[in-house]
Amino acid sequence: MVNDRLTTTLAALADPTRRAILARLCTGETTVTELSKPFDMSLPAISKHLKVLEHAGLIARGREAQWRPCRLEASPLKEVAEWVEHYRRFWEDTFDRLDEYLTQLKSKERKHGRRHRRRRT
Amino acid sequence: MAVATDVAAREIVASRVFDAPRELVWKAWSDPKHIVQWWGPKGFTTTMQEMDFRPGGVWRFIMHGPDGTDYQNKSIYREIVKPERIAFSHVSGPLFEATVTFTAEGEKTRVDVRMVFESAELREKVAKDFGAVEGLHQNLDRLEQHLAKM
Repeated sequence: MVNDRLTTTLAALADPTRRAILARLCTGETTVTELSKPFDMSLPAISKHLKVLEHAGLIARGREAQWRPCRLEASPLKEVAEWVEHYRRFWEDTFDRLDEYLTQLKSKERKHGRRHRRRRT
Repeated sequence: MAVATDVAAREIVASRVFDAPRELVWKAWSDPKHIVQWWGPKGFTTTMQEMDFRPGGVWRFIMHGPDGTDYQNKSIYREIVKPERIAFSHVSGPLFEATVTFTAEGEKTRVDVRMVFESAELREKVAKDFGAVEGLHQNLDRLEQHLAKM
């Protein structure tokens, strides 16, 4: 279900710390210790965020117990981008049609208005 | 045309200024006879099934895609403030709440569409207000197919 996945992804992205973690991971995979450095947070707190990201499929973690390096997984982000793009295109197209239709309506009303004025005189 | 996204708030905002007075733009949004003339992307047509234009009223239509795919839409109007604002909940999935705002800018009109998407809260509210969420799965499958094609 695309939307349940999307909902999970969006919920994971809703937190600024988690977004900062993802931004850091854009530069390459790294360890939890390395990841926690820029944040004023305990390792367990960082681990909690990583679990949310992992559950959402936004990161993957290595199997080695000691290191468990984290890396970014792009596919859920692609889904977010597609979701935005879908509606961007929908409204862009729909607004184009509305724009054309309003032009037609305006010219119709103008003609109509002129007829009315003529009748009155 | 501007589209802004606030991913954290599950929100998409689309805006455009139209070269038409606000009363006319309002007419285009509030009358089924007009709305079927422009709703949806290029190549789509719309069959209006029901448009009970008042708060609590049902708005149902089918969008026919150029490839023959039909998209069933059902919304409930939440708020209608002539000629300023129309708010509705899209209840047939994907769930979202939309607010359309009309602002006069001289002889022109600015239209802002703000869509807030599916969240646990919205899902609960829709389930509570309208019973089962109709056709949600079916529609999501369609959306999925549609996204896959894009």
